[in-house]
Amino acid sequence: MSEIAFFGAVEIGLVYALVALGVFLSFRVLDFPDLTVDGSFPLGAAVAATLIVAGSDPWLASALAIVAGACAGLVTATLNVRFRILHLLASILTMIALFSINLRVMGRPNVAIIMQDTMLTPFYGLGLPDHLLRPLFVLVVVAVVVALLAWFLTSEFGLAMRATGVNARMARAQGINTNLHIYVGMALSNGLVALAGALFAQTNGFADVTSGIGTIVVGLAAVIVGETVLPLRALAWALIACVIGSILYRLAVQLALTADVIGLQASDLNLVTAALVAVALILPQLRLRAGKAAARGGK
Amino acid sequence: MIEVSDLHVVFGRGTALEKHALRGVDLAIPEGQFVTVIGSNGAGKSTILAALAGDVLPESGRVAIDGLDVTRWPTPRRAAYVARVFQDPLAGSCATLSIEENMALAAARGRRRGLGRALGHDRRDAFRDRIAELGLGLENRLGDRMGLLSGGQRQAVSLLMATLAGCKILLLDEHTAALDPATADFVLDLTRRFVADKRLTALMVTHSMRQALDYGDRTVMLHEGRIVLDVAGEERAGLDVPHLLALFARQRGGVELSDDDLLIG
Repeated sequence: MSEIAFFGAVEIGLVYALVALGVFLSFRVLDFPDLTVDGSFPLGAAVAATLIVAGSDPWLASALAIVAGACAGLVTATLNVRFRILHLLASILTMIALFSINLRVMGRPNVAIIMQDTMLTPFYGLGLPDHLLRPLFVLVVVAVVVALLAWFLTSEFGLAMRATGVNARMARAQGINTNLHIYVGMALSNGLVALAGALFAQTNGFADVTSGIGTIVVGLAAVIVGETVLPLRALAWALIACVIGSILYRLAVQLALTADVIGLQASDLNLVTAALVAVALILPQLRLRAGKAAARGGK
Repeated sequence: MIEVSDLHVVFGRGTALEKHALRGVDLAIPEGQFVTVIGSNGAGKSTILAALAGDVLPESGRVAIDGLDVTRWPTPRRAAYVARVFQDPLAGSCATLSIEENMALAAARGRRRGLGRALGHDRRDAFRDRIAELGLGLENRLGDRMGLLSGGQRQAVSLLMATLAGCKILLLDEHTAALDPATADFVLDLTRRFVADKRLTALMVTHSMRQALDYGDRTVMLHEGRIVLDVAGEERAGLDVPHLLALFARQRGGVELSDDDLLIG
């Protein structure tokens, strides 16, 4: 793997680390399997790219992308909490709807911003080569997000959100408005994913309506890889594990795709991802079964 | 002061499984009283607790706490007044959160939860002191996950958690039923101690007539959604389990108790 390919993988891993953190919030903290992210990732990209093309400040454009993603999360949460639609189905409905919305936002399937000023533009003049500057910039963003999330989730409000996901009945008995926490958590989760989309558009120079396909699987893969590599309970470590998991996942994919021996090509990415997540989900079960068999054999 | 008046609760209205769980219950509990509730399965014991906690909304009737009508309040809103310990040791705490995190959740019951740290040094120290009261050696395990504790330990911690924030009433729903006899006795003694120390108003549902008479200062018997016996003071002091059984049998129309599911302990 060349140096450029390596840092390219790190960069994309860092962008998707924000997706992983969002997925961690919905799947792990709230226990809410949320597929909205397949729509909120391109939504973030679409909103940011369209605004940037229209001459908006890229920071403002990215902030509005986060707001748009948060709204998408709120729609899913409303369908589930208020109208009692199964969480998985509620999120699929939002995801499908977002495909149309993203096309409306951009007015066409693809918007190029390669010639526009982005959040990174002011830093290009610092003398660092582009392939190092981009991951460094995203790393700073991710670090800030991780710090904010760690603070939020260990606050009284955040602790109540974690209790909502673990034991909603107990949470309500402790005076926690579980519905409120689902709304806030889903907004936060999809806001983060939309930020990832906005960064993706600005580091790659385009927004594409199809760029959201499989976002949830990639995010989940990062979370699972992270949990396997860094199985620590402390919350800050769990968040860092998401980031590390996302980078490792991208490096693994890069390695698989560049190793000619295996004969994989770029279009096999989704298959590789799905297989990886499936294996990661099956392995703990096999280990459990093996453990039980050993216990039986020992008696 | 807890006042329940003419409370009716119906489950599954209009379905084949319609169940009239409470049929006009009147119950006034003065402050500081410890009431035990008995009755066979389906008598409405747990339903009364659920109606007080807000998990079940009644069809008609009124629930008032300190003169405040809370009949239509959802559970979280009532939590400032109501503390609970569930029958299932797993239900009252978060298994994947640490002991201290669970305590922090309970200590904030009924308060607004802001963005301040849930666990500072001061709070940890306070929690360590409180959990030491249990005498289970948990004061050095505050960071352990709740799920690592045994059922009895979890129930003892749940009871402690119920007393971390103030409450107008403590609801105990057969909170020792899932424990072995020795552990149940330990948790019951702890219950008696906490209720006495904090002068709590408490309502304890139990399957055991022995417990119902041995603990608290008033006993209420439910049958088919109505209160059929309400004794306190000297009258209660003179009662023994056989008396209670006889009363119980009369309520059931003289049916023998041999096929009953009561635990006569």
